[in-house]
Amino acid sequence: MNSLLELIPSIVNLGISMIIQVVLQGFLISGLYALIAVGFTLIFSVGRVMNLAYGIYIMLGGYTYYTLFQVLEFSKVISLLGAVMVGILFGIITYYGIVKRLLNNPIAVEISTLILAVVMQAVIILLFSPAPKAIWPIISGTTRVGDILVTWNIFFAMVTSWVVLGALLVFIKKTQLGRAIMAVSMDPKGALLSGVDPERINILVWGLSGALGALAGVFFASYTQLDPTMWVTPLITAVAVVIIGGVGSIIGSLVAAHIVGFMETITTTLIAPELRGVFTLILIILILVVLPKGLFGKAEL
Amino acid sequence: MTAKLLEFKSITKTFGGICALLNLSFHVDEGESLGLIGPNGAGKTTSFNLIMRELKQDKGEIYFKGHEISNFPTHERVKMGISRTYQIPRPFNEMTVTKNIRIGLMPDEILRVMNMNSDSKKEIDIAKNIGFSEKQRLVFPNELPMGDLRRLELARTIATNPKLLLLDEVFAGLTAGEITELSNLLKKKRVEDGLTYIIVSHDLKSLAPLVDRVVVVNFGEVIAEGAFEEVIADKHVKKAYLGT
Amino acid sequence: MVKQNYKNGGVLKKSIIWWLLFAVLMSSLPMAFSLGTLRIFIFANFIAIFAMSWDILSGYTGYVSFGQPFFIGIAGYASAILTSHYALPLYVSMPVAVVLTMVAGTLFFLPALRTKGTYFAMVTLAFMEVTYHLVQVVKPGITGGSRGITGLPLLVTGAVANYYLSFFSMLLVAICLLAIGKSGIGTVFDAIRMDEDAVKSSGLNTTKFKLFAFMLSASVAGIGGVLYTHYLGSISPRGMFDINFLFTILIAALIGGERSIIGPIIGAYFLTFLLELLRPYIPGSWRYLFYGMTALVVYNYFPKGLYTMITAAGDRIRSGMKRGEQYDSKAS
Repeated sequence: MNSLLELIPSIVNLGISMIIQVVLQGFLISGLYALIAVGFTLIFSVGRVMNLAYGIYIMLGGYTYYTLFQVLEFSKVISLLGAVMVGILFGIITYYGIVKRLLNNPIAVEISTLILAVVMQAVIILLFSPAPKAIWPIISGTTRVGDILVTWNIFFAMVTSWVVLGALLVFIKKTQLGRAIMAVSMDPKGALLSGVDPERINILVWGLSGALGALAGVFFASYTQLDPTMWVTPLITAVAVVIIGGVGSIIGSLVAAHIVGFMETITTTLIAPELRGVFTLILIILILVVLPKGLFGKAEL
Repeated sequence: MTAKLLEFKSITKTFGGICALLNLSFHVDEGESLGLIGPNGAGKTTSFNLIMRELKQDKGEIYFKGHEISNFPTHERVKMGISRTYQIPRPFNEMTVTKNIRIGLMPDEILRVMNMNSDSKKEIDIAKNIGFSEKQRLVFPNELPMGDLRRLELARTIATNPKLLLLDEVFAGLTAGEITELSNLLKKKRVEDGLTYIIVSHDLKSLAPLVDRVVVVNFGEVIAEGAFEEVIADKHVKKAYLGT
Repeated sequence: MVKQNYKNGGVLKKSIIWWLLFAVLMSSLPMAFSLGTLRIFIFANFIAIFAMSWDILSGYTGYVSFGQPFFIGIAGYASAILTSHYALPLYVSMPVAVVLTMVAGTLFFLPALRTKGTYFAMVTLAFMEVTYHLVQVVKPGITGGSRGITGLPLLVTGAVANYYLSFFSMLLVAICLLAIGKSGIGTVFDAIRMDEDAVKSSGLNTTKFKLFAFMLSASVAGIGGVLYTHYLGSISPRGMFDINFLFTILIAALIGGERSIIGPIIGAYFLTFLLELLRPYIPGSWRYLFYGMTALVVYNYFPKGLYTMITAAGDRIRSGMKRGEQYDSKAS
């Protein structure tokens, strides 16, 4: 890695268009990360558990889409829907199979979800072989605006993310069910006393988490690649966003997702692609030292 | 004039939009027993949480033995001499009575703690003093009735060698007999160990003989202060408790 | 839960006798088994060390850690680099590596330790992932990049010598950690697991005690890491910073019985031999599936682990024999 001083001339050399490219790329990636993170935060805020199998929804989304679209040759729309359905199903299975049984033991939930994740990884290896596979971009092609390259696939991912997250925000703020979810996330006992049915909320939230994860997974897989260990990295990204942004705030997750996304883009473009996770990790440590509740955190966990 | 042991000065605490405590001030003198009363949600338990640093106040200062302690974490405040019991007892469920007390006795030093794993004389003495029989000492919390659980809480706080004891709803859930027992125990310990109490209780009848003075809180503010009988007769206090 | 009956000197003597018998029995194995079998025992011993290092932190305080591969790998790499690249002798590189690991661990994980357990687990996992990539990319000339480093000096040569080394290291670690676990420190750890805030309210600085548990965990893992690396004679990113490696260690501790130190040893042996037994019958890719399903089942239905099952069975036999006598098996 070159010394930091050598960085300066390279930034200057790159010029305006490179900076715009980085900014654009940052937004695109951040959109995807926001989608990944919100699915995870939902469970963490509402269910108060760390679902280590969350990365699996992402992986299942990607592999399901691959199977439906590239192997069985269904249409893109059907394949996407199929992926989302698998996500929902798996989210609910996780809830009933593990969380519900180990309700009072967050430690056991953490460990059991990790075991589940490794089991699913083994299943995927059995079904698909350990070799990585490529997913064709959902929307192929690129376009150039001046000097700036825009990949349609990732642009579509970002747009979808914003649309989905926007819809989620509306749902949370404007519908009764959505407000019930927020209530449970802020004060589970209070919500119970107000007549909120925890069972319904849990099913909804876990299903939603699975759906968001799977959807994000399709895009994530098309942006990177399919492989049985792909569930770890996005899980860590989601956790980073939760720690940095704080718990209980969707806006917080959005902002944090952008911070993480931009950090990674800057690192990848200007320093070295392999160091992508390092600065995120440094930021996590910094936040834990300086502001353990996160930037927008409403509760310290 | 006796020294103020604890001074709670102009404390404001909000939770989201809700103001739990508004410019609240009270104090307790050394050796005194103060009753902290008021309707539900008045801010009594919140005050305890703030004194113990389980929460942090938005504005205001807390003085203990003359020192401002707002920057001290919970365990430091306990070491300085403040200890509390909880509204719902929190014993260590997988440990026996004696072992529960042992935790309170442990010094905050790794090397010294290493040597402490057999029933020491001190923990047995505390258990006896609080009234646990030899058989009871080996029992687990889930086998204890509420009265004994509260006594266990008390034993654990005594083990930390406190000067000031915060007692949160000590009489809740107890039978009349248990209340009398606990009440006598509290009186005894106060004299024996030279303790200062702040007692929160809804059971005003049981509280009365235990306290020298009473502070009444409602909606996060002090609405009355003084001797028990005066305060109870005060019309503002009656209104707070009963409506009009 | 482990019986803690050290009031009675007779019980302490009984434990020592058990340990001696165990040591004598295990020492005689090289006479009875082939070199190939000995190598399986060696691997089991190392997994036992790693699993115990997890247990003293996570089993006792309840702070689930996914950091064992990180410590094992960092220590291994440090020693590997010091010996292969800087030609330092083993008696220098190994201690230095362990110290480095403890320092790095404290630096990186202290902020996470100060908060509650849920973040801690994820931070440890994140570190493992990032280190996996870092090690391949930063100064690959020294770290050996994705291939790793081979041709490392060995501590001792031959399966028999390594067997004794691994076994007695494991024994030493077990006895030390057991002693600590049964001391007052173990009580504090337990209390932290049950109700950390109540421990603070009892005047104890929980961060200090958590840090102590953490350093124990990191240093034991580091020691195991350097020993393991200089047994294998090589090190690679995939071998160290790997989810499957983490999984093996965790499962060994859990199946054996967490919060017992002895449980992880039992679990490590059980797991290693189970896998060896099944190796001819289960093809490679099915192995982890089988592994995982076993883990899921055991963890959910026998959460206290094999060790507790064995001791509970032992208690029942003994109380059956002492029928008519007052016998409280929930002592202490």
